[in-house]
Amino acid sequence: MSCVNLFFKRGISTSCARYGKRNFRKFPLFNKRGSKIFKEQRKDPNYDLPHDKRGVRDIGYNDQDGKFVLIPEKVPEIIVPDLKDFPLKPYVSYRTPDVIQSEFTAQDLFNVVYAPKIAKDFQEEKLNDDGSPVEPSPEELMTSEEARIKAEQTGTDLFTQGC
Amino acid sequence: MRLTQILLSKIGKYSKDFSNLPDRYINRAMEQVEWKNPKGIQYKANTVLKRRKFKMGMHRPWTAQFREDNAPGVSHDKIWVEPIRKWSFFRGDRVEVLVGKDKGKQGIVKQIFEERNWVTVEGLNCVLEKMGERKDFAGVYLQIEKPLLVTNQVALVDPSDLEATPFEWRFTEDGEEVRVSTRTGRIIPMPPSAEETIDYKTKSTYKEQPKDTRADDVVQITFEPQLKTFEMDIMDNMGIKEDRIPPKSYWY
Repeated sequence: MSCVNLFFKRGISTSCARYGKRNFRKFPLFNKRGSKIFKEQRKDPNYDLPHDKRGVRDIGYNDQDGKFVLIPEKVPEIIVPDLKDFPLKPYVSYRTPDVIQSEFTAQDLFNVVYAPKIAKDFQEEKLNDDGSPVEPSPEELMTSEEARIKAEQTGTDLFTQGC
Repeated sequence: MRLTQILLSKIGKYSKDFSNLPDRYINRAMEQVEWKNPKGIQYKANTVLKRRKFKMGMHRPWTAQFREDNAPGVSHDKIWVEPIRKWSFFRGDRVEVLVGKDKGKQGIVKQIFEERNWVTVEGLNCVLEKMGERKDFAGVYLQIEKPLLVTNQVALVDPSDLEATPFEWRFTEDGEEVRVSTRTGRIIPMPPSAEETIDYKTKSTYKEQPKDTRADDVVQITFEPQLKTFEMDIMDNMGIKEDRIPPKSYWY
């Protein structure tokens, strides 16, 4: 019986790194960065890290054929008023004294919009027994359903995120 | 230790007053960031490797010479500065020089370097520096004022007898804090040049430029509170009507 020579070879296993994620901490590989194979893998819609838009918001989407479909409402329309003879300029003169303005709170807004009418109704005794007004103003007529709809329409700042 | 480092590395108020530059710009110009964490929610915020100790000299922190003096890799010996509780020397103050060639002479404070406790007096304690020497050109001599330590090399001058005095900060009957000469009791008034900056001599004599909003326009209050957001106000002004009702959504 001849003896068997055992050659011990130690190798580096590269399969873990090959199958693993490439985009690890502090080395972001977005958009055009990375190798060709990596970028092809990333085209898969189920890929872990989505295409980095760099803060730009899409104005449409790609349909099944791959063609881009534009959504006109998503295109931002910048409304700039005419600034001819406008007194406010980009810089402020050094002569201005220090203007100290207190914070404009919701209470101040209430005092301007609702409080005078309530006080007037109270003095003229135009309030019902439960406190609701006999001749309500348009603001007082608004129900919670109407308020919710208004809060979701264009022009609100309640539900906007990351503008 | 950390707190004093932070306090001592900040630029003094009177050192940057004359330049009239915003703090944000000064910090940005001074900053030497070696490495910063990338932007993204997965990264730890505010992880920066930057220079924390600067060598404060005669050059202002936003100048190129300051950047050269504090270039990455350049280190300097610790400069010991006596902490002064209340800075008392302002631009335009009459002071007497107590040391050096111009000992006994009086002059007016020109520049303030609060981080080193220095002031420069106009025309006094000068040296001649040769600049621009080349093969065919002999060079020019510039008379440059060398700084003087506020603690023991310079003294405020009493206006009543025009002699150097020690002084104190005291309150008047109106509640105003002023410098008072301890020898005679005379108030040393704040010089009018203390308000001066590179843009104006005094705020009231500033000449308004075409891009400046006039002082009267700034002070006017034109805000009328309404039950509308800014966007709603614009829509009403522009005649944009919103009739669409969004469908109801539910959160589970």
